[in-house]
Parts: sequence; structure tokens; C-alpha cells
Amino acid sequence: MDESKQPTPKPGVCIPWEEKKKELPPIQGNEAQFRQVWQEVDGMAYTYIWHLLVSF
Amino acid sequence: MSDKETLYQQRLKRYTTALRKGKPDCVPIRPFVAEFTAKYACMTCQEVSYDYRRAFEAALKCAADFDWDAVAASMVYVWTGLTHAVGLKYYGVPGIDIPADTGFQYREPPEDNAFMRSDEYEQLIADPTGFLFNVWLPRVSGDVSAAGQPVTFRSNLSFLKGGMAMMSYFHAFGPQIERLRRECGTVSAISGILKAPFDILADKLRGYLGLAMDLHERPGEVKRACEALMPHLLHVALSSADPARQVPIGLWMHRGCVPFISHDQFNSLYWPTLKPIIEELWRHGHQTMFYAEGRWLAHLDAFLELPEQSIVFHADQDDVFAVHKKIGHKFCISGGIPNYLLAYESPQAVRDFCKRVIDEVAFDGGYICDASAIMQNEVSIENIRAMTDYVRDYGQY
Repeated sequence: MDESKQPTPKPGVCIPWEEKKKELPPIQGNEAQFRQVWQEVDGMAYTYIWHLLVSF
Repeated sequence: MSDKETLYQQRLKRYTTALRKGKPDCVPIRPFVAEFTAKYACMTCQEVSYDYRRAFEAALKCAADFDWDAVAASMVYVWTGLTHAVGLKYYGVPGIDIPADTGFQYREPPEDNAFMRSDEYEQLIADPTGFLFNVWLPRVSGDVSAAGQPVTFRSNLSFLKGGMAMMSYFHAFGPQIERLRRECGTVSAISGILKAPFDILADKLRGYLGLAMDLHERPGEVKRACEALMPHLLHVALSSADPARQVPIGLWMHRGCVPFISHDQFNSLYWPTLKPIIEELWRHGHQTMFYAEGRWLAHLDAFLELPEQSIVFHADQDDVFAVHKKIGHKFCISGGIPNYLLAYESPQAVRDFCKRVIDEVAFDGGYICDASAIMQNEVSIENIRAMTDYVRDYGQY
């Protein structure tokens, strides 16, 4: 994957769900749940790097 | 309702009334005591900075023993156990790099070896989060491998230990705030963190000297970098703010004032990339505490552009009386009790100065008592007691 071609993630996001979804086979179940949990956990990585910068 | 809960409610009302420029029953006391808590609790700076649980205990002991309305859950905010786990290089850790009873220190990067190079602005602007992970972190951490370098055990551990340590630390604040309320009847004074985009560039990326050169050689890139940081810093502030919107977000102001930068640079760069963040926070119902380290008197006219009550201005080395005259009609003022007085002068000298502040600044409400700067272990316990007792006694409205 050419990471330099990826769009700039918005605040709160490291890897957008839309990017992750492209790596997956067609979703058979409830996509909303996949999206929500992906974004929540991804947001923790965002919190990590930005708090290292701002708080520490 | 328990006695402590009754006390808590009284103090919360007193503190939040003053924050909104009102006149409570008496002058609220909100001292930002950092390494002072270690001194009072008979601990070293190493103990409270390397083990946040010790820092929490020291903060609780002070809150229990002094009649303070609000305190920070822990003002020794940087947990050096975490920074060690990540491998961060820019700290002087008490007990290792500096004496065990000296407060932790930041190390300015050398001008020729800053954490971000002068030709990397476009990379930062294009993707700030990616830049932090891929470029900045490997430089500030002695353990994290740079992109293209071999993955190492230490690099993997830095992320795992750092992430888990941060989660453990942040999750400990809720119970600490609850203990302050339940055991001491004391309010947690602030919630959330903000720094100006310019300060982030100076403190953590280019270093002050590097940025000072960039302001002359590539001012356009500096401004666009500040603009690229703005939405992220807003996000950090909003996501860490008080959901009840009672206590302010802390803005820690470092080197954005004259003479660190010129008036023109303040007006064209620092302020236009900070003001919209403050306004947006206010639109969300959050006050911001301007912890104005150094002297900011030259910029008070700019701060007057902000909506009434949207900020609390904390006076450090500024003359608190002049600050009050200039912006006291619009914003709550805190601080202004000189640290040298609290550290080296007599209790009577402390009382005399507090009397003047109450008479000339706090007389009509909208003032919160605190030292000028964060109180470290040079501050005298006797003088803190004198300040507390005097303001509680003479500061009744």
C-alpha cells in the first residue's frame, strides 16, 4: 500500500474505517458495529500520540 | 448529605461563581501545588514524579489538610514512569538526570538537531498525525525505530508499555477526583488540556531557537503548520474537557508573547491560530484558563476580543493589579501572588500582599487566589498556611 497517497486523517482518526473496510471481504453482518468499534479503538491510538505531544 | 459533600458543594459554588466573574461568599482559593505537595507529604520529587500513585496521595494529603476550594488532581502531571516506558529523551528525570529532590525538567533540543527539521514543514502540514508517528516519535524516543529501520523488541515494547501506561494513568484520574470530593470535599480545578499551535511547534517540534529562525526564513510555512495543528489541538481539548462544563480547560502558555516573538508575529501568527480554538471551545460551553506563564500585558488587548467570561486569565509575572484594571471587567483573574514571596519572604509579607490583592483585585468578585506560578518545593509550608488562612479570613464578602 502506498501510504503517501492516503487522504489526511481527520482529528481523532489514525486509520479511517473506510480504508480498513477496503481490506475486508464483503461484510455480511452489521457494519455499523464494525465501524463504531473500529473507530473507538483507532481513536485510542490517536489519543496516545497526541497526548504524548501535548501532555507529556 | 455528608459533611464532606456539603463542603464540596459550597466550594464548587464558590469556585464556579468566581470563574464566571461573579461574587461568591468569599474569595476562592485554588493553589496549583506541584512539588510542594511532595514537600508537605515528606516525599521526594522522584517519588511523586516516578509513581503517580504517590503524587495522588500527596495531593490528597494537602487537600485534606488545607482549606482550599479547588486543586488539580495532580499538578505533578508528567508521570516520568510513562515517559521512561516510551523512551522519551526530552525529560530530565528526578533521581536519574537531576537530583532526586529537583522537579522534573524539559530539555530544549539543540538547534541543529531539533525533533523536526526546517525542511519538514510540508510533511507535517500534509498529515500531522502521520508525521508524529513516523517522524517525530522515533526522534523523541530512544526506543522507537524510525520508518525503514529494523523493528526491534524495544520499539515494540515502547508502544505496548506506553499505551498501557497511558491508559492506566488517565483512568486513575476519575477515582482520584472522586477521592478529592469524598475524602476532602475539594473540587478538581481543571479538566482538559490545550496548548497554542505555536507553542507546540516551539516546545516539541522545532525548538524555540529553530522556530525563531523559521519565523524569519519561512513564516508562511510556520503559519500553515500552526493552521494544520489547530483542528487536532481543538480535538484534544474538547475530548478531555469537563462534560459538565463547570471547570475550565487549561491552556499552558509558554513562548508566544513578546519578547520571545514580536508584536507583528503575535498578531499575524500566534493569535490568529489560537483565538479560533478558544472561540470554538466557548461555543461548546467550555471556558479556557489562560495560564499565562511569563508576561502577557502587551497582549491583553487581543484577549479582550474574546467573548465575556470565555476565559480565566491567570497572572504569572504580570502585575496582577494592572491585569485586573485592563481585563477584569470582562474575565475572571487568578494568581498573582509572587512565588518568591511564598518561598523566601515572611508570613507577614505574604499576608500584606494578599490584603492588597483582595482590596484592589478581588473586591468585587471574579478573582481566584493562587500563586503566580506552579508551586514547587521551594515554597514555604508556613507561607502557604499564611496565605490560606489570611485569604479565608479577610477574603469574606
